[in-house]
Amino acid sequence: MLRDRERREYALMLAPYLVGIAVLIALPALITFALALTEYDLIRSPRFIGTQNFRDLWDDEVFRTSIRNSLMFILFAVPLRLLGAVSLALLLHRRFRGVAAYRTAGYLPTVVPDVAYALLWLWIINPLYGPLNLALGAIGGPTPSWLTDPRAAQWAVIIMSLFVIGEGFIVAMATRQGIPGELYELGDIEDASPFFMFWRVTLPLMAPTLLLLMFRDTIFSFQANFVPALIVTEGGPPPYATTYLPLFIYRNGFEYLRYGYASAATLTMFGITALIVYLQYRIVKRWRHAFVV
Amino acid sequence: MADLRFAGVRKDYGEVRALRGLDLEVADGEFLVLVGPSGCGKSTALRTAAGLEEVTEGSIHIGGRDVTDVKPAYRNVSMVFQSYALFPHLSVEENIGFGLRARGVKPGRARDKVLAAAELVGCEQLLERKPFQLSGGERQRVALARALVREPDVHLLDEPLSNLDAQLRVYMRAELKRLHQNVGTTMVYVTHDQIEALTLGDRVAVLNEGVLQQLGPPDAVYRRPANRFVARFIGSPAMNLFPAERMDGSLHAGPFVFEARPNLPERVEVGVRPEHVRVDEGDQGAAAEVQVVEMAGNETYLHLKASDSPLVARVGADVRPPVGSTVRVSARPADAYLFDAETGETLS
Amino acid sequence: MKSRNWRQLPAALIAAIFLLPLYFMVSGSLRKAGLPPPRTLELLPSPLAWGNYERAFELVDIPRYTLNSLLVVAFAVPLTLLTASWAGFAMARLSRRPAGALIALSLIALMIPLTALLVPRFTIFKELGLINTYVPLIAPAIMGTSPFYVLLFYWSFKRIPPELFEAARLEGLGPLATWWRVAMPLVRPVTVAVAVLCFAFTWSNFLDPLIYLFDQEKFTVPLGLRALATLDRTNFPLLLAGSVAATAPVVVAFIFVQRYFLQEFRGVGWLGR
Repeated sequence: MLRDRERREYALMLAPYLVGIAVLIALPALITFALALTEYDLIRSPRFIGTQNFRDLWDDEVFRTSIRNSLMFILFAVPLRLLGAVSLALLLHRRFRGVAAYRTAGYLPTVVPDVAYALLWLWIINPLYGPLNLALGAIGGPTPSWLTDPRAAQWAVIIMSLFVIGEGFIVAMATRQGIPGELYELGDIEDASPFFMFWRVTLPLMAPTLLLLMFRDTIFSFQANFVPALIVTEGGPPPYATTYLPLFIYRNGFEYLRYGYASAATLTMFGITALIVYLQYRIVKRWRHAFVV
Repeated sequence: MADLRFAGVRKDYGEVRALRGLDLEVADGEFLVLVGPSGCGKSTALRTAAGLEEVTEGSIHIGGRDVTDVKPAYRNVSMVFQSYALFPHLSVEENIGFGLRARGVKPGRARDKVLAAAELVGCEQLLERKPFQLSGGERQRVALARALVREPDVHLLDEPLSNLDAQLRVYMRAELKRLHQNVGTTMVYVTHDQIEALTLGDRVAVLNEGVLQQLGPPDAVYRRPANRFVARFIGSPAMNLFPAERMDGSLHAGPFVFEARPNLPERVEVGVRPEHVRVDEGDQGAAAEVQVVEMAGNETYLHLKASDSPLVARVGADVRPPVGSTVRVSARPADAYLFDAETGETLS
Repeated sequence: MKSRNWRQLPAALIAAIFLLPLYFMVSGSLRKAGLPPPRTLELLPSPLAWGNYERAFELVDIPRYTLNSLLVVAFAVPLTLLTASWAGFAMARLSRRPAGALIALSLIALMIPLTALLVPRFTIFKELGLINTYVPLIAPAIMGTSPFYVLLFYWSFKRIPPELFEAARLEGLGPLATWWRVAMPLVRPVTVAVAVLCFAFTWSNFLDPLIYLFDQEKFTVPLGLRALATLDRTNFPLLLAGSVAATAPVVVAFIFVQRYFLQEFRGVGWLGR
């Protein structure tokens, strides 16, 4: 039972966090709802226009393209990133000589500031003299024009996202290290092959965390490609190949000053995100039975 | 079923010498207990037998076969861990059948074997449950069933009862013994509890600091300890030990005086077990002050102090002298043990 | 016995791959600007053109921007540590239902992408007249910058045996005192981890400074870097030099403290549990 004084102190400790969430997350969310139904350019007061924004979005070719692009990105980037994070975690979770350096290396790209990272890749994927195409050419591989070919540009953004898996790496590694070592010793004694142990023990026991990672990464991927998209490709070769939703929202809001319109797009983004996460959740629920021994 | 032999096994962890040249033979079908304090090397010995640790030197033989370089999976042993190591996401049935499925046994055949093993340990009712739904004792049984289901040559058990509460431990001890009588497989059991060692083992191996102190039936280890360490470690309350002073042909050890044998080394220690300390309220023997009286149900432990030496006596439940009173203590020479003060070896 | 060293080779290989981008950043920055572009893969340019760094510093006021960034970080990181550990501690000590609700709230908040909140947050700060100041940049620190940090602290505090807290309570320590004297000392690795993560995040933050800062002298490093990019878009050695200048502080800080938070997680908060 908590005494009064304790209650007050706990309330104090929770206050900044809760106030912060209310003001910086809940309130903006509500405002988005409201603004989506208006036309607002920050100079004149908002003008209520009902669902006009949504109807305009529906007709907006660029919007539809940006949704398609974002979905395509997620389709490839999320599984690949998850795979990368888990692989890193499984490779580096045990202690062996030099493992600290390897772990650092795996995390380091994540620490690089977005802008620097984007500029760096602008250099790396330069079709004529960037290291990537030079290396590919040297071994006789294809040298796509990363910046001008729409498909290639999209893949460039995906590849860029594969190096910044630090957070997923750490979470996956912590999860793996949380599995008691004795379970694996038992596997040694019971002649369980490494594949058997991975499929029947490691994966099922890591699954809840991986699921959470997948959800978070899906949502995160909706916005992760903003900086690369802006700096590297400036929205992409026609037809707007690397204009993803965040860029669309940013452009309409801060460049074209159509805040109401941008808010409507934001709400749509929310809706799509929630839908995808829900679908992922349902699919995985169905598959859980496959893990039974 | 097979015998297990340690030949000159040494295990170092960097600077630390966990095992120093262990030579030990476990007979086919025997229940051998490895006992000793924390860090004595008993778990290390078990793990080298399982193949979970590599030996630094020496060899391990199972059923006459040198398995020193053989992977754990091919040694045909089973292991029960102190924490049971049950898979939290699998049901009891899946846990028991884990090894069978790993080796590719078809589900139908596996189920029969799992059921048989479950019945042996008495957990056939629990097959559908998950580990988190089980009590400590139930989890223990599942771990045992899993070890039994493969019918290996040797069962290795690493302090399986340590996580159970006292009463359950006593009950499971008997269950284990019954199980061994039923199944008859060679069992090597590690514990730090000397009572478990005495009650369970056909033979007991006492270890300390990586060295085997004594190997023998419980009776031998209790009544004829090879050295001071075994004498003090086995038996509860621990044996009373006094440095002995020689004075005109007698040994004065604490409150006791014994005749000194010829050919005794320079310095000697004398040990008397608490149950051999005779407590009289009359006039015979040395005076001792009663400091603490522990009532243990059917007997009493008296913590005494006699001529500056503390000692413990084990007496009947009805003997309860008040704290602070004086009693008389004595011991028969035949009940006394002599140890070389330098080496700790038993001399009589 | 299985030899565990099969991991060495693949690990080294993968580590090398992950370090490649950084390597190219440095090697590219040392290339003499204005030379015809390389025709073959050039591992280390010669001559080494340190002049690129000079030029970057000339064109764009990197030192000033660095100071600006440091200013923001100096406020944001300590504030984050305070509020995130407070919230995490309270969540760890409350009874199951309130704690559960808070965890759910945190998970939901975690799922909301920041870009979705750009527009409305901007309008809020505009109404408050706080545009073109550092306040919007530091404001997220009031809520621990990210629910992820709050959850990290929560998990760590949860691993501390409750008996320690009960003992403190019996001694008359209130929640705040317990947090400071008992809990925080036990979670140093996590505190360091959060500090570094928050530092990296705040330092790299490009979106918020982009929309809130208009005066060039207030720019933070990422904005400065972008300014450099718009000034001389094709001069890669120059841009890479600027990138290295922007990245170096974070990488150095990270390398110093990585052993605190890339170590095994079994022992986080309390040993032997």
